[in-house]
Amino acid sequence: MTAKKEDKLVSLQQAAALVRDGDTIAMQGMGTQMSPLALVRELIRAGKRDLQVAMVVGGIGLDWMIAAGCVRKVMAIIINLDEFGMANNFRRAAEAQQLEIEEYTEHTILTRLGAGAMGLPFGVTRSGLGSDILGLHPDTTKVIQCPFTGKPVVACRALEPDVAILHAHRADRYGNIQFFPKPIWTDVDVFPRAAKKVIVSVEEIVENEEIRRTPERTGIPYFKVDALVHLPYGAHPCSLFPRYNFDRAVFQRYADESRTPEGTKAFLDEFVHGLKTHDEYLAKLGGPAALKNLEKWD
Amino acid sequence: MGTAKEYTIDELMVCTLAKAFTSEDIILNGTVSFIPVSAVLLARATHAPGLTWVAGAVGVDAQPGAVIGNTLDPTMWKNCVMYLPQYEDMWSYVHRGTLETFCIRGAQIDQYGNINNSIIGSDYHKPKVRLPGSAGMGDMGSLDKRIFIWSTTHNPRTFVKKVDFRACVGWLDGGDSRAKLGLRNGPQLVITDLCVMDFEPDSKRMRLVSVHRGVTAKQVQEQTAFELVMPASVPETPAPDREYLRLLRDVVDPKAMRKIEFRGSATKV
Repeated sequence: MTAKKEDKLVSLQQAAALVRDGDTIAMQGMGTQMSPLALVRELIRAGKRDLQVAMVVGGIGLDWMIAAGCVRKVMAIIINLDEFGMANNFRRAAEAQQLEIEEYTEHTILTRLGAGAMGLPFGVTRSGLGSDILGLHPDTTKVIQCPFTGKPVVACRALEPDVAILHAHRADRYGNIQFFPKPIWTDVDVFPRAAKKVIVSVEEIVENEEIRRTPERTGIPYFKVDALVHLPYGAHPCSLFPRYNFDRAVFQRYADESRTPEGTKAFLDEFVHGLKTHDEYLAKLGGPAALKNLEKWD
Repeated sequence: MGTAKEYTIDELMVCTLAKAFTSEDIILNGTVSFIPVSAVLLARATHAPGLTWVAGAVGVDAQPGAVIGNTLDPTMWKNCVMYLPQYEDMWSYVHRGTLETFCIRGAQIDQYGNINNSIIGSDYHKPKVRLPGSAGMGDMGSLDKRIFIWSTTHNPRTFVKKVDFRACVGWLDGGDSRAKLGLRNGPQLVITDLCVMDFEPDSKRMRLVSVHRGVTAKQVQEQTAFELVMPASVPETPAPDREYLRLLRDVVDPKAMRKIEFRGSATKV
């Protein structure tokens, strides 16, 4: 679980090969923001099966993976496409009872991961007290008494995912991962610390000297990173603040087409299976000029 | 200032919620929360300049100028004083109670203000309808928040006697059941497309406060699947002040993004 100070740069296919069928993967994501979607597309092309996906907010990438049959179980607090509405394949799979769902509150799943990150057997929170959410998984969240005050708290069993997959702004070849303006989200913070293996894709590869000039931007040090992939626009169609915004047209198209399994299949054939490399994906989006359009924020 | 004669329900809901906020409030918001975020910006521009808002739980004291994107989107963090790191900082402030006010809506809301946005049906694992999930409401219900509930679908399917799945803890089973669990604060106000409601202080049952123009108390009761606490007389919800309405239309939400929330509502805006 400790990675060396050596060149971590690998191909997209090599990175995806580190994920095994049945793995628990901690996957970064928000509804329309910061998700390692180029990596997700490769996991789908590689035909991964029985994955157990732990996320805070599941979105378009998770919905693709569910539709493609990659996922056995999800652990998350919400799964949707934000302002674009329901994640339709998640809904269909749940209603057909084809998917194991462990719904958490945000702070119970974070406390599980936080305990995993520190090698503790469990962590505590008060989140979820009195709700029906805790009763969904008595083997991982349990109301106990504080040994000092006697007050009820929620014990959250440690979770150590097999692998975390993330997308970030830039890194050197050793895998010192930097974020602009800084690491903000929980999943770039506790996910890599809790996971046994860490795979990161980045917009840009820079020299080690550049990292040393700006260490305050580094969120994950090289010793925690196992594989690094250079994938510009690797979060597309999600945004990577402040570099580029989410792609409204692609989101809307997926929201519309995913209303049926057939529409979903056509979308995945066109945007995932039909494109063998990330370069083909970027070319399909219309090349540099079209991508430049995504850099507008207002 | 004088009150407006011409206004729509979305405008009334935003202005009414804005009036409930004060300069003392420290508010964070979640996803697809156009009505609360518009209300925050409107309150701050009028009677509550000292109100603190953490945009999308990230942008501290953000000043986006207007509602220019989804309410969790980085566009809304504009001109903030800090990007709040989520894992340590945001959760510390939420857990300890510093960030105290949160607005929630859901597919089901019951007579004690418990909320569900996870599943419809009697068995969680065999849902009739699978909904997106509890998101922040599962946290905020238990973490001592002053909760403001809003709904654009005031009907018996949304306002149910008992939620199918209690994701957000409101007043629990009523009376002192929430306090007995050691939880402070709780649901304060419910603003819907038909009316304004609060909670009767002892029983913690939902109580009608005012009805929107053209709506009767009887109609509200018919659209609610449990018995509301009904005061002897129910006034009309005060019309928005003209200046509030001008600011909302021209400055705070000129693109009327709040109307997105009325997809699926019987109320046309």
